[in-house]
Amino acid sequence: MSRTPSDGGWDEAGEYEIRLKGHLGSRWSAWFDGLTLTEDSDGTTAIRGSVIDQAALHGLLQKVRDIGLPLVSVTRVDPRHPAVHAIDNRRPQ
Amino acid sequence: MIEPLLETKLYLPKPRSGVVARPRLSERLRRGAESKLTLISAPAGFGKTTLLTEWLASTPKRAVAWLSLDQKDSRPATFWTYLITALQTVAPGVGASALPLLQSADAPIEPVLTIMINELGAMPHDIAIVLDDYHVLESPDVEEGMIFLIENLPSQVHIVIATRADPRLPLARLRARGELVEIRAADLRFSHDEAATYLNTVLGLDLTAANVALLGERTEGWIAALQLAGLSMQGRADVAGFITGFAGNDRYIVDYLVDEVLQRQPDHVRTFLLSTSVLERLNGALCDAVTQRHDSKAMLETLEHGNLFVVPLDDIREWYRYHRLFADVLQAHLLESRPDDIAALHVRASGWYQGNGDLTEAIQHAMAAKDFDRAADLVELAIPVTRRDRQEATLHGWIKSLPADVILVRPVLSVGLAGALLASGEFEGVEARLQDAERWLQPAGTGPSDRASEMVVANEEEFDRLPAAIALYRAASALARGDVIATVSHAQHALDLSPEDDHLPRAAAAGLLGIAYWITGDSRLEAGHRAWAECVAGLYRAGHVADTFGCSLGMADIRRVQGRLGDAMRTYEHALEFAAAHGGPTLRGTADMYVGMSEICRERNDLPAANELLRQSQELGAHLGLPQNAYRSRVAMARVREAEGDPSGALDLINDAERVYRGDFFPNVRPIPAVRARLWVTQGSLGAALGWVREQGLSADDDLSYMREFEHVTLARVLLAQQTAVPDESVLHSATALLQRLLEAAEEGGRTGSAIEILVLQALTQHAVGAVPDALVTLERALALAEPHGYVRVFVDEGAPMASLLRAAAKDGIARTYVRRLQAAFTNTDADSRADQGLIEPLSDRELEVLRLLATDLNGPQIARTLVVSLNTVRTHTKNIYTKLDVNDRRAAIRRATELHLLSR
Repeated sequence: MSRTPSDGGWDEAGEYEIRLKGHLGSRWSAWFDGLTLTEDSDGTTAIRGSVIDQAALHGLLQKVRDIGLPLVSVTRVDPRHPAVHAIDNRRPQ
Repeated sequence: MIEPLLETKLYLPKPRSGVVARPRLSERLRRGAESKLTLISAPAGFGKTTLLTEWLASTPKRAVAWLSLDQKDSRPATFWTYLITALQTVAPGVGASALPLLQSADAPIEPVLTIMINELGAMPHDIAIVLDDYHVLESPDVEEGMIFLIENLPSQVHIVIATRADPRLPLARLRARGELVEIRAADLRFSHDEAATYLNTVLGLDLTAANVALLGERTEGWIAALQLAGLSMQGRADVAGFITGFAGNDRYIVDYLVDEVLQRQPDHVRTFLLSTSVLERLNGALCDAVTQRHDSKAMLETLEHGNLFVVPLDDIREWYRYHRLFADVLQAHLLESRPDDIAALHVRASGWYQGNGDLTEAIQHAMAAKDFDRAADLVELAIPVTRRDRQEATLHGWIKSLPADVILVRPVLSVGLAGALLASGEFEGVEARLQDAERWLQPAGTGPSDRASEMVVANEEEFDRLPAAIALYRAASALARGDVIATVSHAQHALDLSPEDDHLPRAAAAGLLGIAYWITGDSRLEAGHRAWAECVAGLYRAGHVADTFGCSLGMADIRRVQGRLGDAMRTYEHALEFAAAHGGPTLRGTADMYVGMSEICRERNDLPAANELLRQSQELGAHLGLPQNAYRSRVAMARVREAEGDPSGALDLINDAERVYRGDFFPNVRPIPAVRARLWVTQGSLGAALGWVREQGLSADDDLSYMREFEHVTLARVLLAQQTAVPDESVLHSATALLQRLLEAAEEGGRTGSAIEILVLQALTQHAVGAVPDALVTLERALALAEPHGYVRVFVDEGAPMASLLRAAAKDGIARTYVRRLQAAFTNTDADSRADQGLIEPLSDRELEVLRLLATDLNGPQIARTLVVSLNTVRTHTKNIYTKLDVNDRRAAIRRATELHLLSR
């Protein structure tokens, strides 16, 4: 398979959702460089936003590590590339 | 170094009062002390450091080298400097000779570690090396060294790593060998009993078992959270209400509790905590500057007594830091509550650090404040130091963090960036940066009229040097492009522009001139030598003695090409004498001088001396050789092996030399593949040699230049061998024509050294076709040029045909004494100690050496250390040994070697 620039190379910007266990108040949005924080009823917080490349994503994960909150998931949510299962669900049987 | 060595990083924290005893963990640490590595890996706030300090305090006799890491230690030289300094607090003198080696820009780390490891191995007592906050290291380079250290760790040394993320070390292997003891989050969490002891016994809170359980559940035994909870509950009336309150929500617990703690502080304390959270380290004066108070020292002491997560960094209560988790949460609060104050706080911190001579911290705080003008001013001031200390990478990092428009109006920064780019081998952006700067240097009124802004200069002294620096950098980038003419004119221009007493840039310009003239060859060799002599003189005056070795190598090489072996020898000797007169530790480049001297001794057929000098060079260690010495010494040794009649050993060394080859600005006048092609010719591997000719695209009709002279002479040798194997008039004709042209070029360029070799080949060719009188005339010319300088091998290496030609010369009475000496040299080179190994392909001396070590119980890395070579080299030798002995493993190799009596050789 040939790689296209849009399939998530290490030098490409992308939108990510990082989910943590625990509720982080909106105060922490600034600490996470202005990314959007959403608290969910299952006791987790989603940090969502665009990172310029993989190094920036890892920097973000280090910030998560540094405040000691358990990491639940990291998902790429690029709107141009909807998740595969979403497409599958719509496919006629 | 730009930043001073911080004593506080080596401070072994004292245990705090009111700590819960944790016998199960102490026991594991005790066991750990008997293994190689203890890894304490858990998130922030799990009590890693506390556990360590407790345990270390309980075993006061243990020698502990403590190092608290920060991000700047990601640079290997900084990391190892700190580690050695930490070791010296408990093992005085360890690594003392290794420390200065870390000062040079691209010193390889392994030799430094080898010295350190050997000295540690001689220590009479156990030593624990503790590396706290290991996760901040960002470079894999440090970890490579750590792997080497752990693999070769002397038995009395033990490493403890405390980290938030598992290190990139071979943990699985260490685990499997039982050399790793781990303490992880699950082990560090407070159990119910520990939580109860802490809350009730230590803090005296008198909580019910149910409340303790509730706290334990909500905090999941996270110690930082329990501490904060305890702090919030002290003196609180409704403890039960507090516990239910925070147990009943999902909020980030540390954040919630820090809120609680902050609310309970008086305003001025809260403000102090938030304002100083931007600081990595705290002391009274720095905090005064940042908070604009006058009582920060007392405040810090109060905070420490109140257990407000302030950690002392020394015994005199000068420096502190916040517990990092606490600091992070404070910063989040600061960002939320006073976002507009943050820049001012950083600027004040930057000002304090500048006033106290720490430009690195000053620049970092200015950057954090996004006060780029201030940061740019500071970077300009730091440029001379970064240049002196070869910290161009640091400078590059700073300038890259500045906005382009700030750099554009600052010619000092543009040129600084150009210099940093050159140092890192990124030549492309250099000229554009120089032009950016030059726009400002044109006389007023003649510059571009579209200047939207004014020029900014913070470092006037650097500004005055810009014209010379620009010319110098242009010369260097021209040389990198291979544009010799431009190199000469820019370097000359740089010399004209530099004041007489500005030694370093003058020396650099002279050095570039020297290389350019050398490359030009021909009539400019002498000018090259002169330029280098000037460069050496300038470097001495500037106190850069070690850098003179590189120039001496070049000067001696020129003398050798000129056929002045004695002068070449004296160049090496003088370089060594000057360095010795300068005092201090043995300098890097010393090993290169020995190798050069060995090559002269070899040419003069003093093989024992040549061997001895190579041995001395090797004994000094790779760290005392310039980066190119690795391959130069192998080539030199190969030539000695060849002279000793061990062509296959020579070939091994040449292949090894190619593997470690590293180019530099010096012209590569004797390329390794050509040296190998010559060996092939000697060994009769004509096909391989012809393959080389094809690969290089060489032809007897090529235009000749000094840069390819060695290859063209080699080509002539290949052609002559080809025509000997299959007589062919046309091949013979091209070879003789090529040699004639080469001779004329060499004579014209004053390259007597080359001329001697070419004449030798011509004489042999004439002799081979039966033109004996012509051959003798040619030989006589070669002898006349060679005799005053004591050449031997250039004749003797030619073997039987030369022996027969010399017999004819002796009969004719040509150069009687000299010819007799040469003839005597033949008889001494026939002994072949390898002929009777009983192997189809005999082992080289080096392979025998490795084989003998394989018979000991040393492992691979230890063998590598003993031989002062890389592990890869040992593996290559081992592989060759197995092949030659026709075995597959070490044990079989030893058995076979014993049968063949190879081990006793």
